[in-house]
Amino acid sequence: MSTARIAKTAFKGMGRNKVRTFLMMLGVVIGIVALTLVVSAAMGAQKRIMERVRKFGLDSLMVTAGGGQEMGRPSSGLPTTTLKIEDAQALKDEIRSVVDVAPFNRRSQSEIKFEEKSTTTGVFGVTPSWEPVWDWEAKKGEFITEDDMDDMARSAVIGETPRRELFGDDDPIGETVRIGTVPFEIKGIMQDKGTSPGGGDMDNRIYVPLSTFLRRVANVDYLWGIKIRLKSVNDIDQAAEAVAALLRERHKIAPGLPDDFTVRKPDEVKEMAENVAGTFNLFLIVVAGISLISGGVVVSNIMLISVNERRKEIGLRKAVGAGRRQILLQFLLESTVVTLAGGMIGFLLGAAGARLMQAVTKLPTSLSWQSAVLGIAFSAAVGLIAGLQPARRAAALEPVEALRS
Amino acid sequence: MTQPVIQVRNLVKVYNKGGGAEVHALRDVSLEIARGAFVGIIGASGSGKSSLMNILGCLDKPTSGTVFLDGVDIGGLGDEALARVRNRKIGFVFQSFNLLPRTNALENVELPLIYSDKPGASRLARLALESVGLGARIHHYPSELSGGEQQRVAIARALVNDPEIVFADEPTGNLDTRSSYEIMALFQNLNTQGRTIVLITHERDIAEHARRVIRIADGRIVEDVENTRPRDAEAGLNNLPAQEAAHVDR
Ligand SMILES: Nc1ncnc2c1ncn2[C@@H]1O[C@H](COP(=O)(O)OP(=O)(O)OP(=O)(O)O)[C@@H](O)[C@H]1O
Ligand SMILES: [Mg+2]
Repeated sequence: MSTARIAKTAFKGMGRNKVRTFLMMLGVVIGIVALTLVVSAAMGAQKRIMERVRKFGLDSLMVTAGGGQEMGRPSSGLPTTTLKIEDAQALKDEIRSVVDVAPFNRRSQSEIKFEEKSTTTGVFGVTPSWEPVWDWEAKKGEFITEDDMDDMARSAVIGETPRRELFGDDDPIGETVRIGTVPFEIKGIMQDKGTSPGGGDMDNRIYVPLSTFLRRVANVDYLWGIKIRLKSVNDIDQAAEAVAALLRERHKIAPGLPDDFTVRKPDEVKEMAENVAGTFNLFLIVVAGISLISGGVVVSNIMLISVNERRKEIGLRKAVGAGRRQILLQFLLESTVVTLAGGMIGFLLGAAGARLMQAVTKLPTSLSWQSAVLGIAFSAAVGLIAGLQPARRAAALEPVEALRS
Repeated sequence: MTQPVIQVRNLVKVYNKGGGAEVHALRDVSLEIARGAFVGIIGASGSGKSSLMNILGCLDKPTSGTVFLDGVDIGGLGDEALARVRNRKIGFVFQSFNLLPRTNALENVELPLIYSDKPGASRLARLALESVGLGARIHHYPSELSGGEQQRVAIARALVNDPEIVFADEPTGNLDTRSSYEIMALFQNLNTQGRTIVLITHERDIAEHARRVIRIADGRIVEDVENTRPRDAEAGLNNLPAQEAAHVDR
């Protein structure tokens, strides 16, 4: 087959002019390294987003006090005081798809002290159902119990971040910390959870019984929010409507007036998480695009120079029987083979770079066969597009003109 | 009577037609070349020899006039068809060898086979190199070969696809006397085997190796004679002075 023979010719051409081949590859390698980095960073971010959304729970809803876009309290104005612990119970009792509810209140940026040391952390007042609803348990000791709730016990479960700050390598269980002026005995350590969908540290918390929190820490009778666990992912939209309807009824909100609460679904959480990661990727995509385009320009120019230098070779090939199409094919293959090779090298370097990036910056990266295919497809496309004009020019050379030079 | 392999009628070639400096390279040339002929074409520099050969070899198109190759009017063929004719029916030998650099003799000779579907390319190329006496040099690069040897590689390349006609434009122009005679001996040998050869030269003694000599002046055929007693290149080689036998080419 003459096509196979022309392909072989194109391959040999690569080895015959190593400097040219190297320069052509370089442009593509840089572009594909950038592309691979972008894709693996983007996929890493995507993966992390999905992990965070999974942490939120795919089959759950979050109700927070206060309407509108603000989470919890509106940034201006007074706290919304209408969401009560009885609302949580009613949601659980009256909506069939609700498996369990975890009402809670919280105070962010509170100072807690152990002996001389102190740290700033979020204080959460929760019920025992927090564990099953969030699918999140104490990794050591035990979590808040019904007895703690009933007794308004001054016991606490500490998150990994304040534990590290206050206790270092020592065992905190049985020790007493002060939240404000109130002493609490630590009875458990919470399982690490990492970063929240919004980007916060979910381990920088200390948990106390909700009853104790309301009475002794905050001195209020309303909730910050209710986390709701549903029977299945399919119930989400229906359940969200039912929750909203029930709460409006219980809060006696007249038709036409806005909610005094917000129901958040997992896809909204996902959106929020994507917004946190999005801008960074767009920037890198632009960088990769620019470097691929400039790689293509380099390839195209070198191919043009090459066609000019090799007029005699082209004339000779035509004299011995090469048609336009065969010359076109040869030069297209030459540029594509070089950029493909550049693409593979670029992918390998990019993969190594992604590892390094992850090690240095702690940003997550994720490599997959898709990014290899993407890199290789892009480099082939660059070769084809950049090689087209030079190859056309080569194919159009008149044999006599080319031989004369 | 068998059909002539080349038939040319009223061929005209004008360069830069319509431009400021029109050059009339060929003015009304008509000729026929029989199958198996060995034609030498001579003429001063600029007389139109190469212009004629380029048109006969399908490398260039005439301004007017017709060319039949093997009975086919090449004026009616498109670019791809002309390429196929060059590939199957024609072999070229040039003054400056035109070998691909950094490409060994075998691969240079294989070149025409890239564009045909003949199987066994490297075997054919090897045979062609053996037939020009270079069986021992097949892996040498052009830079490792003498001028005469390079021209023999080019002849092997011209022959590898078993063409009807071999066109040679000043094949000895860059060679010393001995190498020139060696090349001419090869051509004579090929011609005895029945191959049609068209040889362009401006040296009369080289042209005298042909069996027919056509002289061109200012784009016209001014002389066309049978050469009843062509020079014998083998004999010419044997008569060369002895010290030249030990020379290094060029
Ligand atoms: N591409 C071209 N453009 C313009 N003029 C040309 C071109 N090719 C050849 N000529 C002119 O046509 C005339 C014939 O040229 P040609 O090359 O056929 O001569 P030649 O007999 O082969 O000469 P030489 O022995 O020097 O090779 C010359 O005057 C030459 O300058
Ligand atoms: Mg000439």
